[in-house]
Amino acid sequence: MKKYIIGRVIKSIISVFIVISIVIVMLFTLIPKTNIFKNDTSIQKMKGDARTTYMYSKWDELGYLDYVSFNEMCTNEADDYSACVALKADEVEKVIARYEANNYKIETLSSGQVFAYHEFNIFELLGHFYGKVLQIDHPNKIKDESNPDLERKYYVGNDYNGLPAIMCSGCEYKYQVYFDGSFPFIHQNVITLDFGTSYPTKTGIETLTVINGGQGNQKSVEQTFPTGSTQKSPLIQHSCRYKASSTLDKMDKNKFTDNYALCDSSYDSPSMITTSYIFGISSLVIAYLISIPAGIYMARKKGKIADKIGIAYINFLSAVPSLAFIFIVKQIGQGFGFPDKFPQYGFGDIRSYILPILILALLNTSGLMMWTRRYMIDQSNADYVKFAKAKGLSESEIFNRHILKNAIIPIVNGIPGAIILCISGSVITESVFAIPGMGKMLPDSINLLNNNMVITLTFIYTTLSVFSVLAGDLLMTLVDPRIKLTEKGD
Amino acid sequence: MSENKFEFVKVDDSASEHIAAPKYSYWRSVFRKFFSSKLAIVMLVISGIIILMSIIHPFISHYDPMITPNVNKPSTWYNPPSAQYWFGTDHVGNSLFDAVWVGTRNSLMIAIIATTISTVIGVIVGMFWGYSKKIDNFMLNIYNVVANIPYLLLVIVLMYALGRGIPQMIFSLSCTTWLSTAYFIRVQVMIIRDREYNLASECLGTSMTKIVIHNIFPYLISVIMTQIARDIPSFISYEVFLTFVGNGLSEQDASLGRMVQRYSAYMNSTPTLFWIPVAISALISVSLYIVGQTLADASDPRTHMI
Repeated sequence: MKKYIIGRVIKSIISVFIVISIVIVMLFTLIPKTNIFKNDTSIQKMKGDARTTYMYSKWDELGYLDYVSFNEMCTNEADDYSACVALKADEVEKVIARYEANNYKIETLSSGQVFAYHEFNIFELLGHFYGKVLQIDHPNKIKDESNPDLERKYYVGNDYNGLPAIMCSGCEYKYQVYFDGSFPFIHQNVITLDFGTSYPTKTGIETLTVINGGQGNQKSVEQTFPTGSTQKSPLIQHSCRYKASSTLDKMDKNKFTDNYALCDSSYDSPSMITTSYIFGISSLVIAYLISIPAGIYMARKKGKIADKIGIAYINFLSAVPSLAFIFIVKQIGQGFGFPDKFPQYGFGDIRSYILPILILALLNTSGLMMWTRRYMIDQSNADYVKFAKAKGLSESEIFNRHILKNAIIPIVNGIPGAIILCISGSVITESVFAIPGMGKMLPDSINLLNNNMVITLTFIYTTLSVFSVLAGDLLMTLVDPRIKLTEKGD
Repeated sequence: MSENKFEFVKVDDSASEHIAAPKYSYWRSVFRKFFSSKLAIVMLVISGIIILMSIIHPFISHYDPMITPNVNKPSTWYNPPSAQYWFGTDHVGNSLFDAVWVGTRNSLMIAIIATTISTVIGVIVGMFWGYSKKIDNFMLNIYNVVANIPYLLLVIVLMYALGRGIPQMIFSLSCTTWLSTAYFIRVQVMIIRDREYNLASECLGTSMTKIVIHNIFPYLISVIMTQIARDIPSFISYEVFLTFVGNGLSEQDASLGRMVQRYSAYMNSTPTLFWIPVAISALISVSLYIVGQTLADASDPRTHMI
């Protein structure tokens, strides 16, 4: 069994890799790279050389190509740096020749200055992406010229709440492992994922921070800083990263005794991922609460009027385009005074949540009801049911004690998988209600040509769905010990 | 006992070969079963009317969303339904009646072509998949990777990478659905292939083609029909949704999704403008779905027993 799970996990990771690789190659090769500037407001004001330089440095940043400015060309390849910068013809030619030998293309700006770039091929694209995606923190990570005698060590201490934590000096993050009151209570900053930065919206912020960070206004909390000063501040001290000595300002020095002063802020509204989960999970619970009893009832009254109404409902839901269904329910709900869009009342008001959750739940019910009914009916023809009848058990005893236990197994298998459904369902609902969640982010980032964000979301969705299928299979073996996932059953 | 009380009976070869069973024709039974459902007939008529209108009417109206002759005549904007404009007019004075049929045509075309592609490829691949062990191992691995990706994500990302347009949309929609059809067919072929009656036919010397056509195919027809009845409405739904969130078709292509998206701004001021395209998309999906499901039930040979 252990062997089987490890095998499945490896297979799952491989399939996530395959999917991400395909998406990266598609996005970086099929979409013309000039398209990404369509929604960039800052480039519209630029002209001439400034525009060209901006474009190439952006492409370099986003991982399309390797851009080397003239200054960097001289630093990297020139034998005599000052001669190169002074534009001595033979030195410049030598540098250009060296770059051209390395498959770089040389372009000349209208000012006469040259620069080199190398467009990545498919393998370089993937290498570039996977090379930086997994970031492992270690005490030699920080290279700060303005702070040469930075201590490099791990140490155990108490954090600002007085709880023990493993801390580090010389790492990117100060707190490597720490405890706090939010799920899953023990947190780490040793291994982080880096999917690049968001562009053109939220420029410069890492995509994962955009999805995972709070939204809305900054929320200040009374807290004590390492210098001993107690003040109201939105900073989250556990997230503090290294800040170069040359950039430390007076306010940082007022709060922190060391260089770890680059902290994330806390906000009053939940992050995109939390928002999506609030909607997804609560709608899923409601969907199961509605559809399992309904499916059982339909199976018991097979062929009667209740069953026929149920089937008509299932057919209606599977046939009607989900967008039309959402608008119909939304229109009815507005008659009861529910808001048209989520931001109308915002996070604090219960009325914002009711309609979207109800719609998400109803969208899920048709499939669940159909399968519950199907499994119940299949089981009710089994021999053990005939035997139970022959023994003289009542109808409800047979249904609740015998059939339900067997029919529930495939339904349990589907529970983790339903998370996938509630995510793809939420793309539609979140767009219609303008809910600031992860589901709305996907079409939005595509409309803005935000490649890194699309890759990040693909990664999140694919990983979630791959592992929820695995979790479903494992859950099934727990519910029914007869089921063996491996053939030998080791 | 005398011999003249008995008559000699000639041995009749043709009589002994005769099977005393009621005459059975597969297709006649299918149609008899189908037309016994009144709901299915009504839905067939509705979907027939919508399909015919969407084919014929665009040739009369020559509607193009980019041509707006009345854009500077405010009196023609937002007209309510009248004798001249059956469904009223939109924000640039174009007749909604003309727009609806062109939009329906494009949406239907996308759904039907995508379904055809995924069904044809799916059935052919599924047949081989079910028969050969080698292909089975290989295809299962591919299927496990693809089935793990949320479909909506895949379609959105593909549309994004390939660009907006009807051919791209058809490609993105049918890019992986054929795989699930093939998987479905594979399971059915595996189940039916080893049934006793097929072994018996084989022993009696029936040729392989005859077994496939007479024994296996009738069972597959109902499975394929069920799949088609699910695919067409879901493709219409995906087109409407993708275009609505702005990842689907471009401005030049009229479609139900494009209309829902454009007119959703006038949902409260001119409700007909928004709700008619929504209603048409719901009507065509539901009617095609019910026709398909009834046909699937009717084409299952097990329902033909009286």
